[in-house]
Amino acid sequence: MSAVTARSRFEEGVGIPSPTPMIAVEDLVKVYGGADGAGGAVRAVDGIRFHVDTGEFFGFLGPNGSGKTTTIKMLTTLLRPTSGRLSVAGYDVVKDAAKVRRILGYTGQSIGVDGDLTGRENLRLVGHLYHLPGNVVRDRVEELLGLLQLTEAADRPANTYSGGMRRRLDLGSGLVHHPSLLFLDEPTTGLDPQTRNAVWEYLRRVHREERTTIFLTTQYMEEADQLCERLAIMDHGRIVAEGTPRDLKAAIGSNLVTVRLPLDDGFTAARSRALGVVQSIPGVEDVVEFDQGVTMRAAHGGATLLEILQRLESAQIPVQEVAASSPTLDQVFLRHTGREMRVEEVQPPSRFAAGRERREGR
Amino acid sequence: MTAAESIHQRSPAVLPGVDVLGYAGGRLSEVLWVAYRSLRKLSRNPFLLFFTLMMPIIWLGMFSQTFGTVFERAASSSGQAPLGYDYIAVLLPGIAVMSAIQSAAQSGFSMVSDIETGFMDKFLVAPISRSSVLVGKTLADGIRMAAQTGIVLAIAFLFTLLFGWRIPFASGLAGDAMIVLLTASFGVAFAGLSNSVALFTKNTESTMAVSFTLTFPLLFLSTAMLPAALLPSWLQTFSKFNPVSYVASAARSLILTGFNWTEIGQAFLAVAIIGVLLYSLAVLAFRRQGR
Repeated sequence: MSAVTARSRFEEGVGIPSPTPMIAVEDLVKVYGGADGAGGAVRAVDGIRFHVDTGEFFGFLGPNGSGKTTTIKMLTTLLRPTSGRLSVAGYDVVKDAAKVRRILGYTGQSIGVDGDLTGRENLRLVGHLYHLPGNVVRDRVEELLGLLQLTEAADRPANTYSGGMRRRLDLGSGLVHHPSLLFLDEPTTGLDPQTRNAVWEYLRRVHREERTTIFLTTQYMEEADQLCERLAIMDHGRIVAEGTPRDLKAAIGSNLVTVRLPLDDGFTAARSRALGVVQSIPGVEDVVEFDQGVTMRAAHGGATLLEILQRLESAQIPVQEVAASSPTLDQVFLRHTGREMRVEEVQPPSRFAAGRERREGR
Repeated sequence: MTAAESIHQRSPAVLPGVDVLGYAGGRLSEVLWVAYRSLRKLSRNPFLLFFTLMMPIIWLGMFSQTFGTVFERAASSSGQAPLGYDYIAVLLPGIAVMSAIQSAAQSGFSMVSDIETGFMDKFLVAPISRSSVLVGKTLADGIRMAAQTGIVLAIAFLFTLLFGWRIPFASGLAGDAMIVLLTASFGVAFAGLSNSVALFTKNTESTMAVSFTLTFPLLFLSTAMLPAALLPSWLQTFSKFNPVSYVASAARSLILTGFNWTEIGQAFLAVAIIGVLLYSLAVLAFRRQGR
């Protein structure tokens, strides 16, 4: 990993002794509208600061309208920031946009595939737009078609493709020029679980084998948990949490503990005794009865769990089963945004609807 | 699996393409690839292709029937008759200009649809010039316009041979080629308007409304349909300020009398002026994207 960092920095002539992050963002602000003084200005991105290291798989989480897409558009030179600093591989994204564009690959939220062209033509066009020599384009396109399992469909117009195939093709078109940095804006939204898994597998491979730095936005907690080495959670234009999935979950600081009791004649009596016993344990909160026993939130670490077991044992309450589950990213999200993550599914584009699909944009 | 192994080979972060080809070569290749993509799209839509290419023929037939007798009466009452040619000879260059204007007015639609589908983002994140996208798209339109004019001229020539239409074709094949070049370059220049509106509004209906509102007055308040001598005097004055008149007159002389280099020079000057104006506007609109 460090070898790659050193090499690419050398090639790009950025001779800074300390490792330059692949992405560095400081005090980034984007305000939409309101220039006419009529009010209604929206601060879509409200002073965010983060960095992504070379070779990192970085996730950007947030509900619709949180500013994820706006941020990714600014990083990919599609949108000018209102203020703040952005750099990619040491280049200023606004001033050196042309250089930044050669480094990055981008797969947007709306599917940037030309339905009239075949899969192969779509990929080749992108290769030529990056000024790759003809034979390199040919070889790379065949390689990608194989990798994305599109070889058989390669000569069919893309508007005959299924939603999943189009998504894979779009992913491929972001990869033709071997980008050092790949931006993926909700790459699996609207895909069925099977296709989603295939895309994940492919992204892991690109990350592992090509050492591509990946910046991914998603609404799926599971996706972020599965793929990303580090995450930032965005809400109302601000970054509300940042860290590895493990650290973020650990910071929740409690496990969900479920105690199940034998469903015999003494169940109801046992359950109310159990309730009284666990409620008196320090570090246990939110104790709730349910139809098989009691659940509670217990402070992180094994000590509390052990305490629960010992107290139940000494009170001679018969225990059928005890289960402790680690916090999930959903809980992390809930903690930081005060909301459940609500996924708004995007309809997979049909060949008729493809042209009408509006982008979220903001 | 062999494919998986080979993805270890990684090209450098900064690609050598532009340096190898040189700046101009790089831009030219961008323009040609953008144009190639547009033409490929057209070829995948056979209905669109057929009607685009046949549209001028339909208009030629329609307008010659509608205005033919009017023209002949007007010509005879102004003492010009008998003419050695039919009205269709006067109309033919006008129809060529009309088709070019019509295609130019629609040129911005593909810009809007690329913005809507997200394909535009593919162009915008690629290390290519914004003007290459614009020029490539309108170049493809220009090729389409050239094909339209070429086909309508060829069919008119065929009918002259077969059915005795009286069209002089005074400047021969070279003159026909000049008409094709003239009308296509005019169409490409005028397409700057439709693309500007498309980029400013990002909306098909607005693009259509603005383009068509301007297209028909420009066409009918010019010498495209009738020679200047047969127009009312206020319209004669107005048509002098209308670039369409210069292109139509130059093309008409090529059919009726032969090469008139003064007229051809004026026509290309008119094309150059509207081209520079409208493309400056379109590039401005393009740069404004993402603000």
